[in-house]
Amino acid sequence: MKCPIEARQDGELLGYCDGSLSAERKAAVAAHLQGCAPCQEFVARQSMVWEAMDGWEPPSVSAGFDRRLYQRIEQEVSWWDLLVRPFRPLLTRRSVPIAATSLLVLVAGLMFQNPVPVTPVKPPKSAQLDGLPPDQLEHVADEMELMREFNRLVRADATEPKM
Amino acid sequence: MSERVNKGVGDTAAVLDYDVELMLRVKEGDGASFDALLEKHRSSVVHFLYRMVQNQAVAEELAQEVFLRVYRSRSTYEATAKFTTWLFRIATHLALNALRDGKYSRFEERLDDDSSGMPVRQVSDRRPSVEQSMLHRAKMDEIRRAIGALPEKQRAAVLMHKYEEMEYSQIAKVLSCSESAVKSLLFRAYEALRARLAHMA
Repeated sequence: MKCPIEARQDGELLGYCDGSLSAERKAAVAAHLQGCAPCQEFVARQSMVWEAMDGWEPPSVSAGFDRRLYQRIEQEVSWWDLLVRPFRPLLTRRSVPIAATSLLVLVAGLMFQNPVPVTPVKPPKSAQLDGLPPDQLEHVADEMELMREFNRLVRADATEPKM
Repeated sequence: MSERVNKGVGDTAAVLDYDVELMLRVKEGDGASFDALLEKHRSSVVHFLYRMVQNQAVAEELAQEVFLRVYRSRSTYEATAKFTTWLFRIATHLALNALRDGKYSRFEERLDDDSSGMPVRQVSDRRPSVEQSMLHRAKMDEIRRAIGALPEKQRAAVLMHKYEEMEYSQIAKVLSCSESAVKSLLFRAYEALRARLAHMA
């Protein structure tokens, strides 16, 4: 086996130390360690680090931890309860969702059967006279004649010398 | 340490099934199963977060958020991974966010704080001398500093590897990276720790 340090096989020695190597590889590293001082030093120093870390005990969890957590859960449940409460009677009756679904289906069916009438687009107002009834046409012709007469009178009045 | 992985393999499967089963019961509305999960994982989550942020009040606050998220997610929970993978994924995510936000940095505990983990001995004839206490405290402060100086992801990987005895594959899932990336993170982290704590040997 090649020296893991020289071969830069990073995890090999660490794996040996933490026991994650397979039995075969573990045996190979163990055999190599017999005659390799740098690897022995690596293993010794790694063990020392873990021993030192073992001494770092965190403080125990405070006594009120669970109580505070359950209070927060209770608050969340309360808020949710408050939001849902007005709708709860509706949600708890089984007949309501069925009736609502039936109503939706009914409305959808009616819409398909009698589609909403499309209002025709009105043509823009213009001087087109084709669509007008005959009496109305006559009335319009009279009015136009009256207008022409009026214009003539106005123009004649304007040409006469003023006193 | 060398025996822990092989010994833990058989137990893990049973524990895995039991935790997942409990969580599935929580999903069905069983509050007692949530209590059981909390009782079982409370300390490990708080301790992991404490070692990450190095402040007990912040660690407990974050741990509350972790369990609150577990509770909130009960209805959408799917048993796709180990329960602890999911739990520590939430915890790591919150811890990394808190550290990156930096809003907790001003709360870092003083190194001479009594809550720094010195175990209180009850038997008077075994009480360490003042000198021994100071020595122990100095040593623990140095370990805290050394771990605290690691980059956040390396720190999380080391804490899960050393204290939670997680396998590389599980750490990889928690940190959303490959197993080889975890090995690399751990190697670099332990290399830094070996260099920094060499004089303690």
